[in-house]
Amino acid sequence: MRQTLFDNRPKENVKEKKVAALPVKMAASRGLWRTCSLVSSRTPLLFSTAVRPHSSLSGDLVPRTSLSRPPWPQHTSLEPQEQEAEMRRHAALVNTVNQRIQQQDIGRLFAVVHFAGRQWKVTGEDLILIENHIEAECGERIRMEKVLLVGAEDFTLIGRPVLGKELVRVEATVLEKTESWPKVHMQFWKRHRFQRKRIIVQPQTVLRINSIEVAPRLT
Amino acid sequence: MTSRGTPSRFLRSVLQNGLGRYVCQLKRISIIFSKTHPSSLGVREYIEEGVVDYAKKNPGTVVYVSPQTSTVPKIVAEYLNGNVREEIVIRKTPQQISELFTKLTSQSGLDIIRIRKPNHTDSPSIQGQWHPFTNRPPSIGPIKPQKQLNQS
Repeated sequence: MRQTLFDNRPKENVKEKKVAALPVKMAASRGLWRTCSLVSSRTPLLFSTAVRPHSSLSGDLVPRTSLSRPPWPQHTSLEPQEQEAEMRRHAALVNTVNQRIQQQDIGRLFAVVHFAGRQWKVTGEDLILIENHIEAECGERIRMEKVLLVGAEDFTLIGRPVLGKELVRVEATVLEKTESWPKVHMQFWKRHRFQRKRIIVQPQTVLRINSIEVAPRLT
Repeated sequence: MTSRGTPSRFLRSVLQNGLGRYVCQLKRISIIFSKTHPSSLGVREYIEEGVVDYAKKNPGTVVYVSPQTSTVPKIVAEYLNGNVREEIVIRKTPQQISELFTKLTSQSGLDIIRIRKPNHTDSPSIQGQWHPFTNRPPSIGPIKPQKQLNQS
C-alpha cells in the first residue's frame, strides 16, 4: 500500500450542490406564462440551492470559480483528541518507513534533484546532459546536494524545500565534457538586405547517476 | 543546417561507461605534421614541450607522432567505439593544440550531432506509470454476475 507523507487529507464525500434549473422560456401569451410560473413554483426543486455570498461582499482575493480553490476540503479544524490520534498515526507511519529503510526493503529509489538551474527526476544508472562545463575532471565522482524529493515504490519523502544532507545521498560520475553540435543562429529580414549568421557551439557535460541512498533517521 | 535537416541521436554512453568504473574513450591519437613547413610550427613546438606530459597523464591512450613531408598538419583521434576524428591544426599555437588534446580526451567517440533529449533512463517509472484510472475511486460498484430472471 502506498503511503505518502504530509498528505493527510480526510476522505469525505463532498456532496455537490447544484443550482436549480431555470424554467424554460416560452414565447407565449400571458395566460401560458402564468401557468408556467405557477408550475415552476409548485414543483419542488430537484436540487438544493447553494447559498453562496457574492465575492465582492466577502472580500476574497480571487473570484470564486470552480478552480479558485483545491478540490479537497481545507481548514479542517481538529479537536485535541483527534489531534492526538493524528500524531499517533503520524508516528506510526514514520516508524514503518524507518523500519523499511533499515531493513533495506526499499527497491529502486528515484529523486528530484536541483542541478545546473534545472530540476531533474533521476534514478540510479541514468544519464544527464548539462549545457556547461563543471569543475570536475572526467571520471570524478560528484555528490548532488539539493535533493527536493526522494521516492520508493511505497513511500515518498518530500523536502521543504530541500531534504537534509544526512538523509539522502545522490552520487554521479562525470562521463564526458564535449561540445554541442554546431547550431546555426541566423537572422534574416526580407527586403532589408539584412542577414547575420553565427554558429554557436556550447560546452556540454554528461553525468551518470551512480546511486541514491537514504539514511534511516526520519523524525 | 536546421535540426530537422541534420541527423540526430539520443543521449547514450559507450557500453555503460561510468557505472562500474570510468574508462577514457580515446584509444589512439596521432599527430601528422611536416618537419619544415611553417604551418606546422605550433605542432613542432608542442611536440617538443607538451606531448610527453600528455602521454604520461593519459596512460590509456597511445600517442603516435608521424612526420610526413608536404602534408597539412592534423591530429587524428580514434575512439573505442571505432569513430575517427580528424582536426586540422594549421598555424595553431602550442596552447591551442594542448586545449584541443584535452577536449579530444574528454570526449567519447559518439557523433556530435543533435541530441534529442538531455536525459536517458532505463527505468522511467518506479511507482507505476500514471494512467487515468490511478487514484480514482471506482464510480460503478463491484462487478457481479447478473442475476438470471428465470432461475432454474
